[in-house]
Amino acid sequence: MKKILISGLIAGCILFVVSYGGLFLGIRFFPGLFVEYNNPLFNSDGSRDILFYMHAFIISFALSWFWDRFKGLIKGPAIMRGLEFGFVYSIIALLPVMWISFSSLDITVLTVTSWFFYGLAQAIIAGLVLAKVNP
Amino acid sequence: MNYKNTMCTLLLFFSATGFILPVQSGNGIPLKKWIISKNSSLSVNGSTNVNKFSCVIPAYDQIDTLTLGKNKTNTEVVLSGTIELRISSFDCHNSGMTKQLRKTLDEKQHPVLRIRFLSLDKMPVLTTQPEAITGFVEIEIAGVSKHFEVNYQITKNDQKDIHLLGSRDINFSDFNLVPPKKLGGMIKTKDQLSVDFQLNMKAMD
Repeated sequence: MKKILISGLIAGCILFVVSYGGLFLGIRFFPGLFVEYNNPLFNSDGSRDILFYMHAFIISFALSWFWDRFKGLIKGPAIMRGLEFGFVYSIIALLPVMWISFSSLDITVLTVTSWFFYGLAQAIIAGLVLAKVNP
Repeated sequence: MNYKNTMCTLLLFFSATGFILPVQSGNGIPLKKWIISKNSSLSVNGSTNVNKFSCVIPAYDQIDTLTLGKNKTNTEVVLSGTIELRISSFDCHNSGMTKQLRKTLDEKQHPVLRIRFLSLDKMPVLTTQPEAITGFVEIEIAGVSKHFEVNYQITKNDQKDIHLLGSRDINFSDFNLVPPKKLGGMIKTKDQLSVDFQLNMKAMD
């Protein structure tokens, strides 16, 4: 349990910097991709900002538990294990969620695709960290 | 019977001409009445840190008049009248932006934006050459009213149409509104908005 929490915390800190840093740079250099967020579909009063910034830790702790439970099934060097873990998570969890999101929300293919690749990148980074910290 | 017919004719005459006889203010200074045409428009321009937006009410859907005259001491030009614009008429050329503006302006609680005209700094000459004038208006958004000085350009074309162009920068915060921010504040709408309106009017002779 301690191993899960520590590796989840480490992955969370790294994901926090990479995810929000990446988002900041994306908004700065590709602003056109973010115009669609000016929509009441997305929370605008700041009341959920803390939840938004906690996301990196929520996904990291969840992936840390998932990794600890199934790491024995993923063989090979750490980099390959991390990559495979990221892809497995993306296919099992992200793809169906993105599918239902696109089918039910007024969002574009570009937005939902960007969410998929954002989640995939997060899962691969978390997988690489977890494969190193909790082999 | 003849008496009744004469009375009816007179009543009809007075009620009909009452609309077109020159209107007088309380101290005898003639007032000018301008009827606002339906092709009048208003636009609100703003920006976020990812884009600029321009939201338009392309056509004024009511019949209203503006009255131009002088105050009792004959020192101030009074422009009176109110235009009411439905927030639901805004079109930002992007459905998400349109919905966002309507929500930000609190359409559900306050479905109407009002501009009440108060004064002009001078009596307009009304020629084909644009004349720069300033004046005061009261703008009511989301139930909050504020007085603003507005820069106008006024012209009258050969068809005797009067064009009044007004522009003014306002802030969301002037009306106790909070500009929207998204993704934990990474996408922010700037507080400042530029309001431009064009009133096309006909003078009531």
